[in-house]
Amino acid sequence: MAQNPKPRSIIESLGEEIVRIITPVSICMFSVVILVSILNNSESSSASITSVATIAYSEDSSDSFWDKFEGALLNSLVFVAVVTVVTFILVLLFYLRCTSFLKYYMGFSAFLVLGFMGGEIGLFLNQYFSVPVDCVTFLLVLFNFTVVGVLAVFMSKMAIFVTQGYLVVIGMLVAYWFTLLPEWTTWMLLVAMSLYDLAAVLLPGGPLRLLVELAMARDEDIPALVYEARPVLASDLSPRENVIPRRLWREPRSGDSTLNENMTTRSNVVPNVNAVSRLESSQTVGSIVNAEEGQGSRGISELTAPLIEHRINVQMHLAQQAVETENLVLEGIGLGSSGAIKLGLGDFIFYSVLVGRAAMYDFMTVYACYLAIIAGLGITLVLLAFYQKALPALPVSVLLGVLFYLLTRLLLEVFVVQCSVNLIMF
Amino acid sequence: MTVAAGIGYALIALGPALALFTALISTKPFLILTLVSSTLLWLITLIVLSALWRAFLPFQATQFGWSYFILILTCIVFQEAVRFLLWTAYRKLEHVLNDFADRVSKPRLYLTDKMQIALAGGLGHGLAHGVFFCLSLLTPAFGPATFYVQKCSQMPFFLVSAMIALAFVIIHTFSMVIAFKGFAEQNKVDQLFVPIVHLVAGMLTLVNLASGGCMIGIPMLYLVALATLIYCGKMVFRSLTEVQSSQGNSW
Repeated sequence: MAQNPKPRSIIESLGEEIVRIITPVSICMFSVVILVSILNNSESSSASITSVATIAYSEDSSDSFWDKFEGALLNSLVFVAVVTVVTFILVLLFYLRCTSFLKYYMGFSAFLVLGFMGGEIGLFLNQYFSVPVDCVTFLLVLFNFTVVGVLAVFMSKMAIFVTQGYLVVIGMLVAYWFTLLPEWTTWMLLVAMSLYDLAAVLLPGGPLRLLVELAMARDEDIPALVYEARPVLASDLSPRENVIPRRLWREPRSGDSTLNENMTTRSNVVPNVNAVSRLESSQTVGSIVNAEEGQGSRGISELTAPLIEHRINVQMHLAQQAVETENLVLEGIGLGSSGAIKLGLGDFIFYSVLVGRAAMYDFMTVYACYLAIIAGLGITLVLLAFYQKALPALPVSVLLGVLFYLLTRLLLEVFVVQCSVNLIMF
Repeated sequence: MTVAAGIGYALIALGPALALFTALISTKPFLILTLVSSTLLWLITLIVLSALWRAFLPFQATQFGWSYFILILTCIVFQEAVRFLLWTAYRKLEHVLNDFADRVSKPRLYLTDKMQIALAGGLGHGLAHGVFFCLSLLTPAFGPATFYVQKCSQMPFFLVSAMIALAFVIIHTFSMVIAFKGFAEQNKVDQLFVPIVHLVAGMLTLVNLASGGCMIGIPMLYLVALATLIYCGKMVFRSLTEVQSSQGNSW
């Protein structure tokens, strides 16, 4: 409105990092919802998979309420127990400095997820849309896709957009497989994983806390698959440089525990970090971090750090039982060396599982759960900036999401349908 | 309803909102966050209202007219109360933002910024309405047939609800701008305009209960939306020209 170019207002740049992390989370959730609504219509929902999460109890729709509840509870307890054990193994391996082993394992996991899971979903989509493609072409394209994906998460020299895209795809594929679990088991699993996350991060003996403390004591990065948002080049606002790295580490099991690692524990390296809040400019901190971490290569090595995970291998040969090992994606919210937010892939996966499950009921629950998860993510980030200590990222979002799912399904839907069908709106 | 028709209905209801989003809001991350939080807030109001009314639903056929009247009345009163609370929260946010701007030596909030934040908040309200009242009913209905309502049999139900949703999106979006301006300037006319318009719009949808009522109800609803739009436009134009001529902040 002014004739002369007025200086940019603060609302044009405030909150940019948050939007840059919300966008890929939303894309991942959206893709899982689309996949679920396309693929679950065409096949029967009873084709559930046998996996670690269902060894205790196989859900049957004819069971009574309490049977299902107890069965689901049992399943989730088993799952959480397995995840705990695996995380402790992870801590042990990390302690013994087997980082290259972890690194290669992570690359191998990425290969399996993209190759096999991606391939199977590709086959389903081919079937559904009757795409005219022959086996050789399909195999070739899939193989190339997979190899580029492994390189993208492995190597740091890729364009950041490609890496981000592949991470979102990996999260999407793993999340889709999790939505194939029976319903009660999925919900109990989500709640159990959030509670486990809470415990593993906050309790003194928790495995994630140990892992983070080890990493900080050695000043190394935990090998993990993390999504790093494109760093905001703050020309006028340098708050981006504030590094309050929080890493939420998930356990190996579809992104369980998230651990917020407070950069303050790295205080021997970056002394000024503690006092800096997100919104304040701290050029000095930024420069210290950049100097210490190099030209972002550190951030890249964080990105390519091996992912410690259980792999979920689902063999879809109908003759055999599908055996699942979980793919653990370490997840975390943190700030990379360039100041951009990093979010672990396990967060992506669990959020998408929640929304995918909501999509199996109705899209109204999808919208409500989506809003709840984004709100939870925002709250977690605010809490992190406030408390400046390790906090788990999963509980707030997942518990809010489950709450909104129940409220919408039980209360809102009846109300809205009643009003809408009579064309009464306000 | 085919997928193409479904997408068409969705765009009828939310097309202008999408245009507003792309043009105004998508470039400013803060407005995106405002939009999302506003949508969440209005979803929460809808959930609270549904919790209140759950025990009475579904309505029996005998109580039709009056029960809906009371329903709409309570819902609108509640939503207007929430709007006022939103205003008080926004006031605090404005102080925080201005302090932050001072700290990083950037200009304080311009008048256009404040109006854009109000617009984003209103768009969140409209979006919540459109998504939950119209969009969420579209998706289960994909398939070979469509659905007609007895009382409004000229068009498929989805088309009618999309049109009503469009009118409400417009009303909600611009009411927020008017309301915030009214609260800021302590202007009684503006402050009362918004609840009255909301109430009138809600009551107009009651006309849809009569057989064939939607032929009257929907055009009148669009008249109300148009009135809101014009009123908001005049108000904004007036305040912008005032600022330009006096170089002062009127908020």
